[in-house]
Amino acid sequence: MDLESLKTKFYQLVAPSLPNEWDVEEALSPLATDEAQHVDDIFAQVPAIWPVSHSLCFAYLSAAGPALCCLAPDELSLWVHTLLDRYETGGLRGAQVFMEDVEQQFACHQRGQGGLRLIDVRSRLQPYVNGLAGRELPLIAADQAGTDAESIYLPSEIGVFSEHAENFLVYKLMASFQWACLEAGTFAAPRHVPHRKKGAHPLDCFFSEFSVPAQARCLYHFFETNRVLSFLRGELPGLMRQAAPLLPRLPLSSDEAESCNLLDRLQQRLLRAISPPPPPSPLDDRAFALLRRGQEPHADNEVSVEAVRELMPLLGPEEDLGLTRPLLFQGTLRLQEMRNLGMKQQADKELRLMQTVTAKLPAVKKDAQTESNPDGSTGQQGQDIALIMEVENAWEQLTPFMQSQAQQFDVSEANLKTLKQDQQRPGRNTLTDQSPSATEGKAGQLFTLGKHGGGSATEPGSAEPVVYDEWDYRRKGYRKNWCVVTEKEIPPVQNSFIEQTLKRYRGQIRRLRHQFELLQTSERFVRRQREGNDIDFDALVESLADNIAGRPPSDRLFIRLSREQRDIAVYFLVDMSNSTAGWVGQSIKEALVLICESLEVLNDRYGIYGFSGMRRLRCELFPVKRMDERYTPAVRQRISAIGPREYTRMGPAIRHMTSLFAQVEAKVRLLIMLSDGKPEDYDDYKGDYAVEDTRHALLEAKAQGVHPFCITIDRQAHEYMDHMYGEVNYIFIDKVKQLPARMSEIYRALTS
Amino acid sequence: MPGRQLRIDEFRIEEEPYYLATGDELAIAEAAYRDGSPLLLKGPTGCGKTRFMQYLAWRLQRPLVTVSCHDDLSTSDLVGRYLIRAGEAVWTDGPLTMAVRAGAICYLDEIVEARKDTTVVIHPLADDRRQLPIEKRGELLTAPSEFMLAVSYNPGYQSVLKDLKASTRQRFIALSFDYPGPDQEMAIVCQEGRLKMDIAKPLVKLAGMTRGLKDSGLAEGASTRLLIQTGKLIGRGIPIKTACRAAICEALTDDREMLAALDEMVSSLF
Repeated sequence: MDLESLKTKFYQLVAPSLPNEWDVEEALSPLATDEAQHVDDIFAQVPAIWPVSHSLCFAYLSAAGPALCCLAPDELSLWVHTLLDRYETGGLRGAQVFMEDVEQQFACHQRGQGGLRLIDVRSRLQPYVNGLAGRELPLIAADQAGTDAESIYLPSEIGVFSEHAENFLVYKLMASFQWACLEAGTFAAPRHVPHRKKGAHPLDCFFSEFSVPAQARCLYHFFETNRVLSFLRGELPGLMRQAAPLLPRLPLSSDEAESCNLLDRLQQRLLRAISPPPPPSPLDDRAFALLRRGQEPHADNEVSVEAVRELMPLLGPEEDLGLTRPLLFQGTLRLQEMRNLGMKQQADKELRLMQTVTAKLPAVKKDAQTESNPDGSTGQQGQDIALIMEVENAWEQLTPFMQSQAQQFDVSEANLKTLKQDQQRPGRNTLTDQSPSATEGKAGQLFTLGKHGGGSATEPGSAEPVVYDEWDYRRKGYRKNWCVVTEKEIPPVQNSFIEQTLKRYRGQIRRLRHQFELLQTSERFVRRQREGNDIDFDALVESLADNIAGRPPSDRLFIRLSREQRDIAVYFLVDMSNSTAGWVGQSIKEALVLICESLEVLNDRYGIYGFSGMRRLRCELFPVKRMDERYTPAVRQRISAIGPREYTRMGPAIRHMTSLFAQVEAKVRLLIMLSDGKPEDYDDYKGDYAVEDTRHALLEAKAQGVHPFCITIDRQAHEYMDHMYGEVNYIFIDKVKQLPARMSEIYRALTS
Repeated sequence: MPGRQLRIDEFRIEEEPYYLATGDELAIAEAAYRDGSPLLLKGPTGCGKTRFMQYLAWRLQRPLVTVSCHDDLSTSDLVGRYLIRAGEAVWTDGPLTMAVRAGAICYLDEIVEARKDTTVVIHPLADDRRQLPIEKRGELLTAPSEFMLAVSYNPGYQSVLKDLKASTRQRFIALSFDYPGPDQEMAIVCQEGRLKMDIAKPLVKLAGMTRGLKDSGLAEGASTRLLIQTGKLIGRGIPIKTACRAAICEALTDDREMLAALDEMVSSLF
């Protein structure tokens, strides 16, 4: 195929975009020599990649030709799927690395030959580690294993063994080992360290006592590994039994090196029980004796500290311990990270404490005044004592390890104690602090503090952003963490809209209220029951008569009081896009007033949210009435304030409402959407893509037990609606003025 | 309809049930009994609330009438109703009335599951009046000093909807139960599950791990009751890991990933 026809074809695929001709030519020129069938296969994937990133698409075109040599044609779409995932997690660079080595990065995994990847085992290991630690300890991919007390770092792939089961065991051992380091107090400060440097971990200060701190560090880490392994044998005997055949097979750096230093010999001794060849050296004998000491029960890290103190002076100049790689599961000591994290948290906490104290001060003064205490000192003291008590309680709940950590830090201990307490609280996954659950790619999974009513001190005006995946029908997969949804307060507006609406529809409102009253929880007596609260005398008389007449008497002689409770929670999700300007918006608002007035006579819980926004990073939701809020004048003013804003990105709004529903317990959970047409955003969220994503979001809602129902206001019905909403889940209203009346009717029909 | 009416003597507890006190709950409960105050027990499932009541009833030598509450439980289910027998209306006492008449201990398990209007019937019984009105018979029963009312609920999984009314709640002496500490739990599992300490220890550790998974999607961790059941399975010759899988992992969750993680915990510990 010649370059010109390739170009024409490409431009057709990416229309209406008009990329630079020289970019296109450069990307397509390697394809000019390929077979037509290959080119078609490659081009078939362009629509999935182009909207994600143009640069990625060009890089793909350049790489796809060579890639097809290693791939079967039917594997190409899967390869592209993985490529897009890589792009979204690792950026263009990550995607390029992925494309460069098709065999290693993709094909061998397809054949089941590659190593085991962290993303494949995380769902299994993460709860395991959380269970071990009794708190959230996220597993994060890194070059080497390690921990900073808040997370455990594991390599993103392990391929030491050929069997997946064995590689998994290595992962499990690694994660358990890192947890055990925290639990067994590897990072606790040594008791006698004369020179302390501010900002450095006490262990680092200890290492710097020696002429070559790096050697001391290696030695300490090894002796701790020895101690932690024996700790693990006591704590998790099953794991260590499973791992026993594996440990001697783990690669050691002495396998490749020509000469062995002390650390190599110690590693061989620990994992493979190999003794160094004769003649016996006093250094080795001493080191092995120290190893045995570390394996004694109740040994703490002082044993390793002493071992380092004892062995370091004995090391000859030829022993370069730095050449020896740490054991695979051992990883690195992340002392500085741990320290930095502590310092940062401490600074944050100080700030928060200051804010709390300043916020509490005026209240204290007031208390003191009301108690007619002239100097106010007693009140102040009481508050102080309460604060100290709080801090002390928090302190007691820390693990010994945490306490030892906290004591290292020079700044006021009290702050840190409460801080550590905070750290242990659940649900801390904010945008900056990505949890693995966010990258697992389940739809609607969110990683934020900003859940509703979570009690977190979010600023007034906007809550913390929440991230959702978005469905891309072209690749039949999710774009991970694609949309950022923020809840924004809507400023209340005082005008005559509500009064006018109430006046205009007063007859209708009265009628609606009456109709809704009929829906209320009804108590009725059911007669002729086998069991019940009271005797049904009619049935009894009949039964006696039957008995006398020789007919079989009925045993249904009771009346039962049957109470049908309405247990309904409903969210109204209102389109606040630009297109609702004018009559449409007006009618939607009137409809909301009517439905609120009607719903007040029922016990149904309901909330109202508006949505709009622009692009995937700014999807906005406006709480008009939260589920637990009453229908107050403030709510009415917020209804008045509903007005046209920007675009209609429906998917994220629906997903957000679904996640809000997760906190609501009700037999019937109803999501009623009010919109005026197709979903559409400023970026590529339009057409089939938008319809398919909305459809998918609605399906996800259904899977979560939420019944979505859409009311669409449009001049004419469109074909896409059946597909998007599902046939029975929407109603289409062409006469805008009917909306207020129809909506209450629809609600009544849906819930009775 | 029951074929015969249960007699109060059938509710007596003859043998001493095993109970290991974890705090001063016994002293409080006995003091409350002497004062005629009702008891409210709260705590997670399987932590020993019902066993405590059995033990208390045995110590006080009173019959224990237990009612498991559900959302269809009506006042007549508690107080009693007229039944038709051979063409005649015969009054039958409900469990609550039976307990009041006999001066027994009436224990309403999972009280929040019952509808709020049903629970109001216990109000006059739960304060210093200690009376039970039986409207249908026009009778006002006054509870003898031996009678005690106890209710229980699990605050863990209840929603706002299923909460006790303040007016109900504020009549009770409340005892909070939780899973016992590791040493006590080991002792309980050894005794009740007929296990040796070396198996009971990792079992208790496993329970501790599952209880820390609240944020990872496991609503409630393994209860002491589950551990005892596991112990019994092991005693019957089921291999430890299989017993843990059947009695703990599968009982806790249906989620495949969570099951896998629980299995990893089991395989690490045993």
